[in-house]
Amino acid sequence: MPNADKGRVPAERSRRVSRWFDPRGIAPGQLAFVLHRITGLGLVFYLYLHLAVLSLLARGPEAWDRFIDLAKTTPILILDVVLIFGLLFHALNGLRLTLVSLNMGVRRQTALFWGAALVTVVLTAVAGWMIFRM
Amino acid sequence: MAEQKRRSKSRRAFWWQVISGVFLVVLATVHMVANHFVVPGGLRTYADVVAYIGTPAIFLLETVFLIMVTVHALLGVRAVLLDLSPSETTTRRLDRVLVLLGVVTMIYATGLMAVVARGGL
Repeated sequence: MPNADKGRVPAERSRRVSRWFDPRGIAPGQLAFVLHRITGLGLVFYLYLHLAVLSLLARGPEAWDRFIDLAKTTPILILDVVLIFGLLFHALNGLRLTLVSLNMGVRRQTALFWGAALVTVVLTAVAGWMIFRM
Repeated sequence: MAEQKRRSKSRRAFWWQVISGVFLVVLATVHMVANHFVVPGGLRTYADVVAYIGTPAIFLLETVFLIMVTVHALLGVRAVLLDLSPSETTTRRLDRVLVLLGVVTMIYATGLMAVVARGGL
């Protein structure tokens, strides 16, 4: 529950968040939680970046064409692949969480997590191949 | 009573997160395929974007996508921030800020789509 540890001292709270980035002895459930949070926050950042970029459309064709030239450079294409990895993992792990919340596949949730991770890697590779081939 | 209210609010937020997330799996797939994967070069030209967003059905679809993605994103931010165990007062302020941010985001992005559909400023 969100406020289950209410009353803990601030140092203890920040230690809990800093543990997101500590890979030592991490269990699959915790890894899923951490990756879901990190990809989620990354996607929120991307949402607002995307809206800022799309505002170029209001300035007319020249501004948009300049962006298209930039978007086709290798560093941006690599970031597109990272974005697709984040999107796919967040979506597939989110579906796993939804199933578990509905009491479906609770006993197989670790297998579902690794399945989601595998599908994410395969689809990211396919999407990456398509992005660099375009 | 206050604790019950808080729990009910958290439960509602969680289910909104789930429902918007399921919608997003479909809507984001449609958005990615239609705007990038079937487009030569991966990005529509200016004229193509104007024609695409100017189609009423597409405008509606993208607006629903925008609403779902904003709701899902800001509920996600709320869930992460509540993990830091803020006080009741801070939680109330946070809720107000996130609702305001969500409304501003939706108004700005819908307005932007309307401007683009008309062919720019």
